[in-house]
Amino acid sequence: MSDLTLDFSTLPGDAGVQALRQQAVDTFTRTGLPGRRDEDWKYTDISRITGTLGETWWLPMPTEISVTEISDIEGLDAYRIVFVAGVFQPESSNLPDTIQLKPLSALLTEGADEPSHCLFKLDESAPLFNGFLATNSALASDGLCACIGKNIKLDRPLYVVHVGNNTAHVLNGLMLGQGAEVTLIEHFVGGDSAGAGLSNIATYLRLQDNASLTHYRLQMESAKQFHIGRVEVKQARDSRYTLHAVELGGSLSRTDIVVKLAEAGASCDLNGLFVASGRQHIDHHTRIDHAAPHCTSREQYRTVLDGRAHGVFNGKIVVAEGAVKTDSAQSNGNLLLSKNAEIDTKPELEIYNDDVKCAHGVTVGQLDENQLFYLKSRGLSETEARQLLTFAFADEILTAMDNNAIRRFIEKAAFAKLPNMTDLDGLLG
Amino acid sequence: MLKIENLHASVAGKEILKGINLTIGAGEVHAIMGPNGSGKSTLANVIAGRDGYEVTAGSVTYHGKDLLAMKPEERAWEGVFLAFQYPVEIPGVNNTYMLKAGVNAKRKHQGEQELDAMEFMQMIREKAKLVELDQSFLSRGVNEGFSGGEKKRNEIFQMAVLEPSLALLDETDSGLDIDALRVVAQGVNALRNAERSIVMVTHYQRLLDYIEPDFVHVLADGKILKSGDKHLAMELEERGYDWVKDEAAAAV
Repeated sequence: MSDLTLDFSTLPGDAGVQALRQQAVDTFTRTGLPGRRDEDWKYTDISRITGTLGETWWLPMPTEISVTEISDIEGLDAYRIVFVAGVFQPESSNLPDTIQLKPLSALLTEGADEPSHCLFKLDESAPLFNGFLATNSALASDGLCACIGKNIKLDRPLYVVHVGNNTAHVLNGLMLGQGAEVTLIEHFVGGDSAGAGLSNIATYLRLQDNASLTHYRLQMESAKQFHIGRVEVKQARDSRYTLHAVELGGSLSRTDIVVKLAEAGASCDLNGLFVASGRQHIDHHTRIDHAAPHCTSREQYRTVLDGRAHGVFNGKIVVAEGAVKTDSAQSNGNLLLSKNAEIDTKPELEIYNDDVKCAHGVTVGQLDENQLFYLKSRGLSETEARQLLTFAFADEILTAMDNNAIRRFIEKAAFAKLPNMTDLDGLLG
Repeated sequence: MLKIENLHASVAGKEILKGINLTIGAGEVHAIMGPNGSGKSTLANVIAGRDGYEVTAGSVTYHGKDLLAMKPEERAWEGVFLAFQYPVEIPGVNNTYMLKAGVNAKRKHQGEQELDAMEFMQMIREKAKLVELDQSFLSRGVNEGFSGGEKKRNEIFQMAVLEPSLALLDETDSGLDIDALRVVAQGVNALRNAERSIVMVTHYQRLLDYIEPDFVHVLADGKILKSGDKHLAMELEERGYDWVKDEAAAAV
């Protein structure tokens, strides 16, 4: 596979960008795709992707995707940025004019633009670096690029919708200036064709001093789609990053979340929920680097797996020698609704100083028999009691969402997937 | 109303109940006392239908129906209520939502119209006052973060809402201080009526100072050894359980 050349000659970008694309191709030629011998890919077999999409798995297939399918999230008031098969759609979008925001494609064709260069620059030493990221850098031609100025509080969330069952390499960059506040919603949905492709999405987020970013990442691809994601966050002093990652769709989905708490007082809060059924495979590898003193990290992941679904959670936290007064807590709860469902979960803590507070916990189980009996003794049927407990388990993650429109939307979407979970009117009332 | 005949039950292959005979009439309050491990809680759980208890012989007839053939939720719809010895915490499941689902399932089963949200809220606010349960508890997760006393009060509150015809109180007094016990007992007393039967399983005679029983039974080693009125409880308080056992042994 590594002898195949990624062809970027027709892609936009000035000489600087093209040179970086060439470097990415060279890197890919050297590293190839990760295999199951790589510790970080032990439980996720990407031959499912290459086997389905073929030897030239990275190539978009020419298909028509109708944009009429894009459904809004009810009650969500936001700026909308739409990409179909990885291509920006100006007529479906509604951009804010108060901030510097452009699709990457526009930046690349408008000529030299230094900020967009840095998005293409790869750092092979970065945690969880892999060949998909190199491919993204070599082939990406569109995405979202925005810089939010100092002390700007964006009045509405940025709602970025990615539609399509095609293969697309999307590169996003968002920079928050000192004291800026933004909510970013990334929503991945399938189009109306039954085709399969790979969504290869890289999102780089930079938070300057005291900036605050709330990030919703909603993976709701169509059933045959493959999704490979990377979210890389770098946080300066006192900045705050909150992630709500929801994984509902796709055939195989793997996302790496890499957060660096680079300066004192920074904090991150990662919330993750997987609801998977059938033969879905969902994998999140998260990595939090405590590189400075007085930083706080919170991480809470829950998975609800039915059918033959396979979940993978790896949460690595590295506390550097100088990162004293670190306060870190991680928890991962897994609910297996079927005996054929599987979860591989691994918390990893590396701590290089003594002055830290780190807690972590993992649970794997079925519904609690005592709780079931309690509910039944109050008159709830077996089915109702199971529904309610499953809902409650997952909903604990969703309660952390402060955007009610999204929370409600996700609650409905998540629970529509599970058996006997259709009647939620009373519950969500 | 409830007739238990020659009831034998085992847990994990070990026989705990060894032939219980007990008849409870409408509106009666029965106290079942006995030393630890005598089978008191097992009896309450078998009547409520908890899994893991195997009935090996005997019958339980409730309002003329075979109670043991019913699922736990069917027993609840028919008016059986268990106040748990150890109420479980169910984070994320709203107390009010659970009760509304329970009440309406029961009403539906009995051919009555379901309560709408307004009627229901009005009703539970009234009932919460009965056990001095703060309104804020209504919207919290079931027993989530409740103290021991709050959990027991929540059980009696649920009893008030679900209006059972047979209430089993499994050591509802255990772990309560006097003031909390008084509140719980007031709630139970307010719920006494000519139709509602109450079975209190307890370890301590103290409870009976606050809720006066019509009958007192001594359960030991899986059998009811002696029955009487409240004076029996006082005697037990003074003399312990051994004399009852000796008396029963002598009678064989």
